[in-house]
Amino acid sequence: MNHSLRRLLYRVGPPLAAFVLFVGIWEAAVRIAELPTYLLPKPSDIVKSAADNWSRLLGSVSTTLVETILGFLFSVVGGVLGAILLASSKIIERSIYPYAIVLQTIPIVAVAPIIVIWFGAGVRSIVIVAFLIGFCPMLSNTLIGLNSTDKNLKNLFILYNATKWQTMWRLRIPAALPYIVGGLKISCSLCVIGAIVGEYVAGVGGGQGGLGYAITYAAMRIQTPYLFACGLAASVLGIAFYQIVNFLSRKWLGSWHESEMRGENE
Amino acid sequence: MQVLRLDGVSKSYPNGTVAVQDANLEVGEGELISFVGPSGCGKSTIFQMVAGLSKQTAGEIEILGGSTGQARRDNAISFVFQEATLMPWASVRDNVALPLKLRKLPPKQQEEEAERVLELVGLKDHAKSLPRQLSGGMRMRVSIARSLIAKPRILLMDEPFGALDEITRQTLQEELLSIWQRSKGMTVLFVTHNAFEAVYLSNRILVMTPRPGRISREIEVDVPYPRGEQFRSSAEFSRFVGLVNESLKH
Repeated sequence: MNHSLRRLLYRVGPPLAAFVLFVGIWEAAVRIAELPTYLLPKPSDIVKSAADNWSRLLGSVSTTLVETILGFLFSVVGGVLGAILLASSKIIERSIYPYAIVLQTIPIVAVAPIIVIWFGAGVRSIVIVAFLIGFCPMLSNTLIGLNSTDKNLKNLFILYNATKWQTMWRLRIPAALPYIVGGLKISCSLCVIGAIVGEYVAGVGGGQGGLGYAITYAAMRIQTPYLFACGLAASVLGIAFYQIVNFLSRKWLGSWHESEMRGENE
Repeated sequence: MQVLRLDGVSKSYPNGTVAVQDANLEVGEGELISFVGPSGCGKSTIFQMVAGLSKQTAGEIEILGGSTGQARRDNAISFVFQEATLMPWASVRDNVALPLKLRKLPPKQQEEEAERVLELVGLKDHAKSLPRQLSGGMRMRVSIARSLIAKPRILLMDEPFGALDEITRQTLQEELLSIWQRSKGMTVLFVTHNAFEAVYLSNRILVMTPRPGRISREIEVDVPYPRGEQFRSSAEFSRFVGLVNESLKH
């Protein structure tokens, strides 16, 4: 107990101290230089603004959270199913995959207004923007994974008369899991960005609007402390989302894949 | 009874490389035959063709009176690769039961058969382990157990013990012999570049030479089984090894 506490302190202590120091210098510097709040708020201003607008901030976060999760789920399902479809036939892959790459290179901010025109302002468009940005890494990662199955294992499946579907389900998909998880990690952070960008363009996404909407609104009215609070909330959302995916990854791959094996050589 | 016949089999690639040239061979039921030769002499290519994983460019291969494809569909052939080639996410039991699972046999039967072959290779207590928890030798045992589960008529082993240390290698050689002798007529074809291994295991050795890959000599090892540890240190053993090594140099 005592030992583990010390280890925890050893791990958390230094970054925590650096954080406290950073915030302290920031607070002191802004006070001494007497910078106006709208230009650079003190950390205490940010905390105060977040506390004063707590329910508004929480509402924005939960709206963005729902949009992100929806966009993420669609991109995972779409990306994986799409990759399975592409991987099941070389012809389909060769004819469609180049366009998937092109899709990936289109800047999402450039297409977002078109999506709003087609699907109207609101949650639907925002989810579609989040989906579009998260879909491509899922698709390409899964496809690479499905196509990089060990050659001998593939021969083995041929030798034992496996059907195409058996090879896909019992060999290629499990073997692609590390790649799929890599895709999840990329796409989960992208979906947070997608949702916020979507809100910039599509405005109120249900309720009183999400973080993206709150950010544009606060920026317009030069409520800089609240702007900082929103930015921080968005970061926390992104990090939390990533950590959840990371946790799932360890759970799925921890027992057998190099990328998630820990502590053996320590 | 003849189980395998190669008649003028050749394999060449579009770039002009001749991997195998005019291989002729007849294999009787229950034989244990080794293919010995340096890398690039076409040993593995012959195996690929017999397993139906690659097609010969000339000649004819007949297995149990039919084609390679037919033999595969009848589950008459099994393959052991140089690497253990296990699915890292699946337990030892699931890896071993794979051939039966792909044939959609009842789960109960899969489990019983897996138990049977795991006992055969001495891994009964590791059924629930994952491959990465096992040593190289144990992984190869799992691979052999998997190849045996479908009770093949012909077992192809492509340098299965090449990556193992000498002690593990000798233990596995003995286990292979004992499994083969108890199998009631299973034919084993074995690729190796180790003359000692070939002499210890086989009743017949085919020496292959590269560029182009040819079967250049056939050596009959007329020593009765079971051969036991003392065979390895006998004068007869050395004589056969010498014979193989000499043929390899030509």
